[in-house]
Amino acid sequence: MSEGAALAVLGPNGAGKTTLLRMMATLLRPDAGELRVAGHECPEHADRARALIGYLAHDPLVYLDLTAWQNLELFADLYGVPRGGIGDVLERVGLLARAYDRPRTFSRGMMQRLGLARLLLTDPRLLLLDEPYGGLDARGAELLDALLGAERATRAVVLVTHDVERGVALADRVMVLRAGRAVLDEAAAGLDPSAFRERYEALVR
Amino acid sequence: MSVRAARQFRALLVKDLRLELQTRETAVAMVLFAVAAMVIFQFAIGTRTDETTPFAGGILWATLALTAVLGVGRSYVPEREQGVLDGLLVAPVSRMTLLVSKAVAIASYMLAVEVVAVPLAGIFFVEGPFFADLGLLLVVCLLANAGIGILGALFGSMSLFSRARELVLPVLFLPSIVPVVIAAAGATHAIAGVSNDMAEYRGFCLFLGIYALVFGLVAYATYPYVFDD
Repeated sequence: MSEGAALAVLGPNGAGKTTLLRMMATLLRPDAGELRVAGHECPEHADRARALIGYLAHDPLVYLDLTAWQNLELFADLYGVPRGGIGDVLERVGLLARAYDRPRTFSRGMMQRLGLARLLLTDPRLLLLDEPYGGLDARGAELLDALLGAERATRAVVLVTHDVERGVALADRVMVLRAGRAVLDEAAAGLDPSAFRERYEALVR
Repeated sequence: MSVRAARQFRALLVKDLRLELQTRETAVAMVLFAVAAMVIFQFAIGTRTDETTPFAGGILWATLALTAVLGVGRSYVPEREQGVLDGLLVAPVSRMTLLVSKAVAIASYMLAVEVVAVPLAGIFFVEGPFFADLGLLLVVCLLANAGIGILGALFGSMSLFSRARELVLPVLFLPSIVPVVIAAAGATHAIAGVSNDMAEYRGFCLFLGIYALVFGLVAYATYPYVFDD
């Protein structure tokens, strides 16, 4: 995948979508084959690849008992980015007023927005998103749309989703998995999102 | 350690200490457990006399070993229960930095326990002054804590992926720190009360240092694989 490219990975439960994403995120070691993330052979050079990866899963991957600010301070230090950007990022996700509150007191949508703030702060070249819209409120969904739309030019995106229409609309390439195998891998250009659903249903049946 | 790794280590350690300060779920529980264990030993052995004095070091380190099991079991709870482990593993942090920061956090909790447990052991079991030189005891504590911290971080992370982690952790960890308990109790005995056997003290301290170093190397070789798959 090149910069600006977006791949939507679709498939039913248990198809291997999350496993594939976790491999790309260097969290799982593949049994066979080659894995190259952002140009780096993995797992041999996983450390270099990780600096370029932004991973957003079902959980926001933040500590519930650290404040929002402290969480972002931690990830800024881990990724080696300046702490100076924390205020801006929190303002962008609408959490600046709650910067010194613990995520334990946040709603699900606010927590996911904090997860988004973690991504924005580290400015990753490769975005790996696992059902990112799940639990997001309207503001969060708007931010994520921007990240996957206008702000996508400098990064590649892999989006795992059950939402076939959204996946086809956002991505420029669509992959459908069934029982751990790709049963479709083609360009999304020219695909009608709502018409594609019928084809998708037939593929995964 | 590079500047970047040092910054990451500091961030991870500060995170653990902040979490502990805000939740008070690990060190406080460890201190309470150690006090309770000491009180039980005191009731079991009886009022301090000249005869109980030689056992003070052993009782102290047996208590600290059991307390360490509690602390190690709690050490990865935030990562496990709040699902943050993936966030740390996908960050560009070396696995060794993760290990060392967790080991130092566990050692810090142990030090907090020792601040309470050492005077208590003196009050309960030692006739006369417990230590002439607290600095010598501090060296024993730091060396023992290094071994406990490294093994605790290693086995604590290994047990993360086990369904029977409450069983696996004590079964793996406790036998592994028996040499630490023996050496730390020996070193403590060598300098406790009126004893002043510096040759014995140095020998046990050397053993504690070598033990921490050896298991540091074992952890260095094995830790990266703990989180693979």
